[in-house]
Parts: sequence; C-alpha cells; structure tokens
Amino acid sequence: MRIQSHPILDFQQRKKLAFSFNAQPLVGEQGDTIASALHAAGITTLTHSVRYDSPRGFFCGIGKCSSCLMRVNGIPNVRTCIAPLHEGIRVETQGTYAGLPDAEFQTHSKTTIRVDVLVVGAGPAGLCAAVEAASQGATVLLVDENPSVGGQLIKQTHKFFGSKKERAGTRGIHIATELEGELRGLEQQGHVRVMTEATVIGCYERRAEHHRFGVVQREQYTSYLYDVQCRAAIIACGAMENMVLFPGNDLPGVYGAGAVQTLMNVYGVKPGNRVLMVGAGNVGLIVSYQLLQAGIAVDRVVEAAPIIGGYHVHAAKLRRCGVPIHTSHSIKEVLGDDKVQGAVVVALDEHWRPKPGSEERITCDTICLAVGLTPSTRLLAQIGAHQSFIPEAGGTVAVHDQHMQTSIKGVYVAGDASGIEEASTAMIEGKIAGLAAAVSLGRTKNQKLLSQYHRDLEQLRAGPFGEKPRIAKTKITQLAEVPHARV
Amino acid sequence: MNRKADVVIIGGGITGCCLAYLLSKKGLDVTVVEKRYLASGATGACGAGIRQQWSTRENALLAIQSVKIFERLSSELGQDIEFRQGGYLIAIHTDNEMEQAERNVAMQRSLGLKVDILEPERLTDVVPILDVKGMKAIGATFCPTDGHANPFKTTFAYADAARKLGATILTHTSVVNLKTTQKAVSGVVTNQGTIRTPVVVNAAGVDAKAIAEMVHIHLPITPFRKEIMATERLEPLFDAMVISFTDGIYFSQQKEGQIVGGIPIPEEHSGFLSTPTFEFLSHMSRTLTRYAPVLRHVNMLRHWTGFYDVTPDARPLLGPVKGPQGFIQCSGFSGHGFMISPMVCQLLAGFIADNKTSEVLETLNLSRFKGKTTDRELSVVG
Repeated sequence: MRIQSHPILDFQQRKKLAFSFNAQPLVGEQGDTIASALHAAGITTLTHSVRYDSPRGFFCGIGKCSSCLMRVNGIPNVRTCIAPLHEGIRVETQGTYAGLPDAEFQTHSKTTIRVDVLVVGAGPAGLCAAVEAASQGATVLLVDENPSVGGQLIKQTHKFFGSKKERAGTRGIHIATELEGELRGLEQQGHVRVMTEATVIGCYERRAEHHRFGVVQREQYTSYLYDVQCRAAIIACGAMENMVLFPGNDLPGVYGAGAVQTLMNVYGVKPGNRVLMVGAGNVGLIVSYQLLQAGIAVDRVVEAAPIIGGYHVHAAKLRRCGVPIHTSHSIKEVLGDDKVQGAVVVALDEHWRPKPGSEERITCDTICLAVGLTPSTRLLAQIGAHQSFIPEAGGTVAVHDQHMQTSIKGVYVAGDASGIEEASTAMIEGKIAGLAAAVSLGRTKNQKLLSQYHRDLEQLRAGPFGEKPRIAKTKITQLAEVPHARV
Repeated sequence: MNRKADVVIIGGGITGCCLAYLLSKKGLDVTVVEKRYLASGATGACGAGIRQQWSTRENALLAIQSVKIFERLSSELGQDIEFRQGGYLIAIHTDNEMEQAERNVAMQRSLGLKVDILEPERLTDVVPILDVKGMKAIGATFCPTDGHANPFKTTFAYADAARKLGATILTHTSVVNLKTTQKAVSGVVTNQGTIRTPVVVNAAGVDAKAIAEMVHIHLPITPFRKEIMATERLEPLFDAMVISFTDGIYFSQQKEGQIVGGIPIPEEHSGFLSTPTFEFLSHMSRTLTRYAPVLRHVNMLRHWTGFYDVTPDARPLLGPVKGPQGFIQCSGFSGHGFMISPMVCQLLAGFIADNKTSEVLETLNLSRFKGKTTDRELSVVG
C-alpha cells in the first residue's frame, strides 16, 4: 500500500529492490527501510511477544522500541524500522528467541578520534548544536544512529509556527534540508565529521574537558569501534513516544502517531485505510491531517482531556475536513485477534473514568497513539548527570543550567532530551549548547550572541502554549542552581 | 519522623531485606533504612550466581544451606524468584589449580555436596558452546545443583514478605549518624528523623565501613569497582554458569536469553569509581569469545558497574563487635553475598532474636583480624 499521490511530497518512481521475507520474494524501493518495504507489501507482523507469543508490529518506527527485531542476512535482532533495505537481502522472522548470528563480519580494531565537541543525535537540536559549535571554531563529531540526518524533521511536512527567524512558515522537511546544507558546508571545510548509522554505546571517562565515549558504526557486515575523546559533549538524543494501557495495545496496527508519520511522509507507505487517532495534542491533530493528505480516512480523534491540547488552527482544519474530535473520550480496547479490526471508544467522566454504557464500537485498521513523549535520557543517566522528575518536561530529565550544561561539567543537553517541547525551541537550545561549549573551550567569546539566543528562546516560549515548558525549564534551572542533596 | 524499632537494618539489599523478613517472622519490630531504592547497590548490579563450590568450609557450608533455602523460597515467599539450578562449571587451567580443585572437591563432598571433576572432553557435554582448547582448560569441576536467581525479584519478595509481617521499609532515607549510650547503640539518625532502637544491623554493603566509622569501629573493607555486561537475547544455549579463577571470567545465560557476565580489568584499582571502562569492553569480549567463539558477532547490549566490599580474607564480617553493644555486622561479602544471604541471615536472626551463636558466626567475627592470619577464600571470580 504505497501512497499514490500527495499534495506536498513526490514519491516518484524509485528504484525497485528485490528481497526475500521468510523465503518469499518481495520487492521494495530504494529509500525504504526493511519495515517500510514489508508494510508496503502488506506484512505488518514483524515479531512475537516473548511472554505471550502474540503477534507484534513496530510501534515507534524510529529505532527506540524493540518490537521490530528480525533476522536479516543471518544477523539476529536487527531493528528493521531503521535498517535500510538493500537489494537481495534475506529477512526472516525470529522465533521466541533469536538464533546465533551466522553471518561473517569484518571487524576492525579500535580507532581513536579526538575532537572538541561530540554531538549525539542529528535532529533539530543536535544539527544546530553541531553547526553552531563548528561555526565558532570548534572541531565537531556528530553521531546519529539513523541512515540520514534531520531526526524527526524529515517527516514533518507541515509549516512551522513561531518567529520568522526560527524559520516559521517553512516546512519541517525543508528545514532539515537547509540545516543539512549548512552542516555539509562545514563538513567540507573539515570542521565537522558526520557519522550516521552509528551508536554512542557509553561514556567511559569523564573529567574536566576530557570525556571518553565509545561509538559503534555498523555497515552491513562491517563494524567499526571508535574511542572518541572530546572536551565537551552535547547530548541531543530526542524522545520516545508514550504508550497507553488498554487490551490489545501491542497488536500490529497500533502505532505511535510519529511512527505513522514516518511511514507516510518519509517512505510513502500507507499504514492502513481507516485510522482512529488517540490524543488531540499538536501531534495528534497534525498527523490526522497528514493522514488525510495521504488519502487515508480518519474515523475520529479521541482525547481524554476535556479540551483540545493542540493549536486550534490545526483542530479547525481537521473539522473542516469532516473529522470529529471527541474530547473526554478515550480508547477502551482493540478489536481483532492478529491485527487491528476495530476499537471500542468510551466517554470519560470528570475524573477520567469510563462512563458505563457509553461504549461505541468503531471499525478501523489502524490506531495511532499521540499521547505525549518521554525524553530519552539513558545516556545522560549513564554519564551520571543529575536527573529529576519534572512532569511538565515529560518525565525524568537531566538538570541543566540556562546554558544547557548538566551537573557534569562539559556535558550539555538540548532539545526533547532536556524536556519535551518543539523543534523550534530545540533548535535554539542546540545553538545555545553549541555556542556555550565553544565559549567554555575558549574558541569564541561571543557572549552577545549567547544573550541573543536566550532572548529568542524566551520569545518563542511567550504565550499560553509556552506555559508548560516555561514551568519545566524554570524548575530545571532552579534545581541546577542549588547543589542537590547527595543521598 | 519519630519512631522506634526493636531492630534497625541499614541497607535494603538482599541481606537487609532477608534479615528483615526473618526477624519479623520471629515477632520483632523491624525497620529497614535504604538510602536509594531496594537492591540499588551491589545486589541489583550482581551476576546473581548461586555457587556451593568454595575453598573455605564456612563459605561452602553457608552456600549449601542457602541452596536448600533457595529451593523452597519461591513457595515460602509466595513470589517467583526465578531460581534455576543449571550448575556451575569451574574451569581448571593448571596443575596447581587441579590440586586445589581436588582438595576443594574432597572438602565439599564431605559436606554432602554432589560435585565432580570433569575431563576436558566432557566440558562441552555441559556447555556445548565452549571451546576447550581456546579456553586452555585441562578439566573442570561441576556441581549440578549450583544455579542462579533473579536478584531484584528475590530482594523484592523478601521485602514484601517482611512488610506483610509488619516490617517498615524506608527507601530514599539515608543514615546520618548512630546514637549510642555509654555501652550500647540507642538509635539511628536519618535525614528523615531519628529511630530509637537497641539493635542496629550494618548491612550497608560497600558503605558499611562509613556506617561503622560513626561509632568509631574500623572495618577492613575495601571497595572495588566490578564491571558486568549483558548481550542481546539469544536462543537457549547453555544452562550452567561458567567461571575461571585464572581468567577471572564468569558468564551464564539468563531466562530471557541474554548472556550476562563479567571479568576484572587488567589494572584494577580500589576506590569509589563507578564509571564503566573501555578496557572492560575489549577484555571481556576477547576473553568471552575465546571461551565461546560462537558469540563472536553477538552484540553487547548493556554494561554496568557495582562494588565488591572486599575484606582481607574475602570472607564476610558477621555478628557483634567489640564496642557498642547491639551493633551487628552483616557486610564484607567480597562479591558473594547474594548466594549465601539466606543462611547468613538465618544465623544472624538467631543471634539477634534468640541470642543463639554458631561456629560460623564465631569464625567470621571482626575479631579474627586481630593479629591473626585467617583462612583466605581462594575461589573468587569477577
């Protein structure tokens, strides 16, 4: 099920790639991941639950959950949602457990890389951090586990709001291209090295101006281990989509809204034909509209809160297209044994409890969960940065000062990893972290620019929709000011 | 907070929670004080192997009796602690090791343990993925009733059972000081208030030394950072825990399929460093794949550190001390506390509640280090 026509995106005929799935010959397209090619061929069951042996499809679509692990060319546990499709590969489902690898890998001995700044994650925050630090004269290594840079911008076909300076009016996908252009320019001048399909596996030393990270880069049958020694590190590894608990929430067809956005807007594959959207925040509203643009029906949007959380302009657009938004409603359960065939939605009372008798069965083949994000903070936790639970930031985040520096000197955080917000603010946070790192390393003294970035950030957070991040960031920076009680 | 208790246990790891359960069962009012969360220290970081093959009689006895308790623990506590008996295979590399193994096996058999010395060609009968030549083994000892349990589930099961019997467990509560009268302990000062008590058990793991300093008792405990890793999940490949005293390696496969194991890095320093090292990554992967070449292309998923609380003879410090009365030690386990905790705690509970002493408690008292040389536990890995 490929998208045939689209008002913004052009999925012109891409090169066909033959591959096999459980010995059955299939054809995908250049630019697909393994999972997107399988979806296009109508295969949505990728794994089985270890505990219940029930079928599972992917959930996050961006390599953060583990429900798409398959065996590829004899390599077990491959994250097929981010693994690029190649001509002739052999894709197999795994049993309850993965068998041992039977591929022959080439391995290389460890290589040491010394840079001023390591940036982890090439989304809006990481890209801006890398560009900023490199423009100020620092040497930068940018690492991302995806095949391309841009993070989640590469699926955002909508125009950004905010200020013109932060590229309001430009579509996310074009911002990604612009930022990548700046990055590649700096790369050509030798200021930045970009490493994709690479994972930062841990921090092994942390001293003032000397941090040591392990990075593994894997290209098919070759893996490289890098010993990265840097004077500062900027962690911008984004966020993961939240799950809600209801019977059947792991059936193939129940996806994170962001995963569906990736599938449609990056790979040109339809998730299904009729969707129930859970959550009326900006993600839920925007993805619903983008589903319509891709020619997919949206049955309705249900929102547990009594009010719509996202911008009303998005909600109004959806309503004009005839998609009802039911506030104080939620999903009760999924219908279907092997895949989604429908759902039961239910009205909620003022205490968010289901109202008995209000259940309604609806028919759909896809359920999108747009119920918020959780910051990805595991690397920061491993580094030992002090963390705190800040509900307004979306969960546990690394405490950081206004220059985005964590409790570990020389370790910075930016973007969703530092508290859930949006791409525009993530970009400024990235610039602040990149510039602050360059200043602390003596590469520049541009305090004026730093103050300017702080003002830009304040401006973007002004207004009612900036209230939550304002509270979150105030709490976080206040925590950074007091030496925390060591327990 | 204004509380009192018959016994305050400092430390919510395996021994603290096990002791809380046993003392509550004896009708005492117990409070556990844990500075972070349950099993947040060495217990939660450990490999959780359960081995009876020791070189000193006390450790072997404690472990044999502990296994008997582990065998019925899930049903006793009403929660599955995932105890499995896949055996321990201890590689023998040199003639010296073979002689020591023969002595150990004779002593272990005299205690009723079923343990055998295997010829090199029999090693793969037990663990098929081993490369006997690569690991340079001339044999191995094997005890089929050794095994493994889930350290979190075991600790939580003990804690839940203790709570049901009335114990109070205070997490995120740290001990600031100990109160004493002229001769005895009288209370524990925490960051949440003071608890009056005539008995304080020091089960604080690597922090036990700092706790004892509060009443001017010096415990000869040295912290050592130990590293451990888990691979991605794989099909069931072997049941036993494989260990080697020569190489210091240990590894086993968990129920969920991941292989968990550790090894000391070549240059290990004592201290409170907790950062994982690059050296461990390469040393562990080189040694593990020498033992089991089929794991050559398997991914390591996680890598973390924990502390061994090492005493001069690698044996625990148990029971009362010369100093304030009611200050009981339950520390210095030197990396093998989890596996002997059920029996150690049973002996300590008998001492605290019924004033019953035992040969093991006498032998493992702090006073053993006063000008005497002690039997050293030789069978230590990791």
